[in-house]
Amino acid sequence: MTISGPIISIKDATKRFRTVVALNQVSLDIFSGQVVVIIGPSGSGKSTLLRCINRLESVEEGEVWVNGVQINHPSTNINEVRVEVGMVFQHFNLFPHLTVLENVMLAQSIVRRRDKDESREIAYALLQKVGIREKIDVYPAKLSGGQQQRVAIARALAMNPKIMLFDEPTSALDPEMIKEVLDVMLDLAHEGMTMVVVTHEMGFARAAADRVIFMDQGEKIEDTTPVGLFENPESDRLRLFLSKILDH
Amino acid sequence: MRVPPPDTTAPRQYFDIRKLARNIVRRQLWFIAFLAIDLFIVALILNDPILIDTWNFIWPGISITIQITLVSFFFATLIGLVTAFARISKNILIYNISTFYVELFRGLPLLVIILVFNFVLTPALIDIIAQIRLLDDLLQSLMGFNAEVIANTTLRSRDVQETTRIMLAFALAYGAFMSEVFRAGIISINKGQIEAGRSLGMTYSQAMRYIVLPQAIRNVLPAMANNFVLLLKDTSLASVVAVPEISQLTRQYSSNRFRYPQGLLVLSFIYANLTIIMSMGVYWLEARLHADTKED
Repeated sequence: MTISGPIISIKDATKRFRTVVALNQVSLDIFSGQVVVIIGPSGSGKSTLLRCINRLESVEEGEVWVNGVQINHPSTNINEVRVEVGMVFQHFNLFPHLTVLENVMLAQSIVRRRDKDESREIAYALLQKVGIREKIDVYPAKLSGGQQQRVAIARALAMNPKIMLFDEPTSALDPEMIKEVLDVMLDLAHEGMTMVVVTHEMGFARAAADRVIFMDQGEKIEDTTPVGLFENPESDRLRLFLSKILDH
Repeated sequence: MRVPPPDTTAPRQYFDIRKLARNIVRRQLWFIAFLAIDLFIVALILNDPILIDTWNFIWPGISITIQITLVSFFFATLIGLVTAFARISKNILIYNISTFYVELFRGLPLLVIILVFNFVLTPALIDIIAQIRLLDDLLQSLMGFNAEVIANTTLRSRDVQETTRIMLAFALAYGAFMSEVFRAGIISINKGQIEAGRSLGMTYSQAMRYIVLPQAIRNVLPAMANNFVLLLKDTSLASVVAVPEISQLTRQYSSNRFRYPQGLLVLSFIYANLTIIMSMGVYWLEARLHADTKED
């Protein structure tokens, strides 16, 4: 099935947490194969925006369309949409009672209804790809942060998603482990995966992003290219933000 | 000052008998004392015809004590699990009904619950059931009455044994306790676990069943086992409605023959051994769980 037009389309999304406006009339179209990096100061609504794409948060006003389905419509079966949208969390959220292999196999069997052999083969291949093949029978607690995050990426990829969401995937990692995770993400980007990444890693934005979205106080301030971001920031708020994160 | 590298050629000490012995003396002395007293009491009983008589009268009650404990605990666990989910439900009606049940049953003394179930609720319930032909016949056939009896009579209060009534009371009372144990276990699991499961396309119940419950139950296994020991001890309350478990048999025996010291000695001996065995199980369980979650 080919969908003409954007694979993700957010129209005038608004969301409040009590009195705080987390998203204010945000509109965003993302096309298949694009790598979109969302940056912004903490509390700017970038994680909320990301979580609205698979309805871990629901918007109060506006529309969110993913893969041709309006996901904030009451009749939508969200689980069918979520299968196509992988998500990687800041704190990995691996299942601690399952081994690495079981982590990658679980949803394949109960959601995708694959049999044991098939899901094991897929898990082997993906764990090989993220470089954890030798740790498959280990429990997550015995892995380093970088290894856990790579398993989490494999777990999400095992569902064959069309879109991958990354919510600050390297923020909880020790510095020496950031690269191994970013390398896996770069590979994915080069393979043409549609990716939406909330991150503070400007290096990743420069190397892999097609677009960079800058958010502040729940609003989309700029929608630009990585080159445009660094060489030609239009708004004062972005210039201020860049000066804060780059001057050290 | 440089620290010399560890000597890797020296034979590794796998088993240090002195350390083990020291550890046993320090940490297991209570258990050795318990075993010694246990053996002493066994010797006492074997060498005293009166105590043998006492023992022979009381010990058949052990099977009923254990039966009440196991059956009540099984149903209490089921009730507790269902109630725990009801208590974290967003549905107003389900939440309030389950909370009412938990607060009521936790607020009443177990003895009162037993008396109410035995003398008031069960007879009242059976009167209601007897009015409803279909339910009445169904229950009678479940209880193994023959066809003629089923057709011609209705269920009477005395058809339901005290043991059954008592197990109903225990199951509901401990179900309320257990629901709090399970609820604590479920809400102790990080919200990110459910989010991870749901973002993979699992339904709420799939995420609960495959991700949250296995972790929650593992966390609360020691608390469950603790409730099991408490329930075992509380079955002694069944004696107030003349269920022939060990406490009831002891009361009967002691008062008939005026042998209170003998009766109570044997009774305490049985309870202490049953609960100590259970406690050992709890220790073992805790140690095993701890070993599983250790980082190395």
